[in-house]
Amino acid sequence: MSRRRARLLLLLPVLAYTAFSAGPYLWTALMSLRTTDEIYRSHYGLPIPAHWAKYATAWNEFGYATYFKNSTIVAVASVLIVTLIGSMAGFAFARRRYRFPLREPLFLLIFLSIMFPPQIMLLSLFQILVQYRLFNSLTGLTLVYVVTELPLTIYLLRAFFAQIPTELEEAARIDGCGDWAMFWRVMFPMALPAVATTVILNFIYFWNEFLYAVVFITQQKIRTLPLAIQFLVSDQYQDIGMLATGLMIATLPVLVLYLFLSEWFVKGMTAGAIKG
Amino acid sequence: MRRPRGRRPWGAIAVFLGPTVVLYAAFTIYPVLVTFYNSLHTLRMDLGMLYEYVGLEHFREILASDDVFWKAARNSLVWAVVAPIVDIPLALVLALTLHARVPFARFFRTVWFTPVLMSYPVVGVIWLWVYNYDWGIANLVLRAVGLGAYAQAWLASPTTALPALILVTTWMFAGFNMVVLLAAIHAIPADYLEAATVDGAGPWHRTLRIMIPLLRPTIVNLAILDFIGKMKQFALVWVMTRGGPMWGTETVATYVVKRAFEWKTLDLGYPSAIAVIWFVIIFGLSLLLTRVLQRREALEF
Repeated sequence: MSRRRARLLLLLPVLAYTAFSAGPYLWTALMSLRTTDEIYRSHYGLPIPAHWAKYATAWNEFGYATYFKNSTIVAVASVLIVTLIGSMAGFAFARRRYRFPLREPLFLLIFLSIMFPPQIMLLSLFQILVQYRLFNSLTGLTLVYVVTELPLTIYLLRAFFAQIPTELEEAARIDGCGDWAMFWRVMFPMALPAVATTVILNFIYFWNEFLYAVVFITQQKIRTLPLAIQFLVSDQYQDIGMLATGLMIATLPVLVLYLFLSEWFVKGMTAGAIKG
Repeated sequence: MRRPRGRRPWGAIAVFLGPTVVLYAAFTIYPVLVTFYNSLHTLRMDLGMLYEYVGLEHFREILASDDVFWKAARNSLVWAVVAPIVDIPLALVLALTLHARVPFARFFRTVWFTPVLMSYPVVGVIWLWVYNYDWGIANLVLRAVGLGAYAQAWLASPTTALPALILVTTWMFAGFNMVVLLAAIHAIPADYLEAATVDGAGPWHRTLRIMIPLLRPTIVNLAILDFIGKMKQFALVWVMTRGGPMWGTETVATYVVKRAFEWKTLDLGYPSAIAVIWFVIIFGLSLLLTRVLQRREALEF
């Protein structure tokens, strides 16, 4: 009996932290369904009636359709490229067969760059992108995104590929697998769980990235969502209701996916923390 | 299966590693070198990237007479030191609480982890509202519990603005750290704890003397990650305070961007020198921390 009471007592701090943790976002969710006039009358009212049409308004009239599209293009393209390149490199760094002089120093260099602060290349990348006409372009941004997440992706996938027993590789080779088929038909499918974690980790990073977007994108029509929100804060500071709707549009895709795949998200997001 | 000597599969190596090497050389190594080179020059954007060699002049100026740099460095360091001290014990308490078989533990874990999935601009806007003087949640709660005298414009004063921002990152990352710690707790072999129980150790003793020492490597790891993350902090400041008021929340990262693109000098050389200094500090400190903290671990086990 007292054990049960002790457990209920533990619930108090748990509920308090939950209020702290979920409160601000729930508040925003409520405001996203209310008009700014309603909000100014009472900031903590319930959305009765709920103005679902605000989502359509934000999407069509405040440019969220464009920003959402830009974010999707950059995030999806970056994830595809970094997964493709990173898994091949992780494989070649992991297996004995592909050893060559300076392979380990090269890997160490790539690994160490996980710790580089972005400022050390921010301004020179700006200069380089301007020079190659990749400034103010989603292609340029994608290229930079791929390179910033390449080290961690290689690091995580290399660790996975290194665990695969050599016997398996030898058996496949006896069956006539060349290097290319070996990777795509045998190794890559085996690594899919590890690949999935890097895909999630990278997607969230690309979807939310802000620093490079601020410096490399100045045109309105190619702004990504985080960048757009920063501008909308100053442009429509008074229009809290519409801004709240925009914040929901920017976060809902990720949060809905998280609801269904929460174990995978947790695995992906913490992958760097556990190994790193 | 030994390969015959001298017959490396160069073709396969080139295909697998080629793209990485090319991209890495062009968009990481080269830009880093350019930054070092730029830090020895003034580089005028308004004059078609006109280079002028100045030697170590930027470094002398930054370290000897740039008050803003020192304020920014101090803020970044405070953030990087305070955040892990707050985030990780909080995360540990939360993880241990959930581990004590609180009902609906999965639900709470899922909710607490959510903030880390949002972008800094989204988080920044939400917390601008939370800190609003008239109707924000922060002051609302203070007034509700009779501490209305403490209600204030949190982001408007140089003394409260930085702590207010640090709390926001705690909100984002405590749940994340909690999840990592909880996973580490679950990984502790059950017999360790059972053996301790048989030896008569109570729950407090089990937690403090057995679990926490076993969690040490994870805690160290998270602390280093948190430290490095905060040394690089840019986005939250950019959205919420722009470094103000009175440089009260300026970080080195925001100062670099400001010096490059918002200063009248239009010079990329000076901010590059700041970036070089900060790079050396972050890199040095993270290597040092990893070494010192992990070596002590090796001694203990």
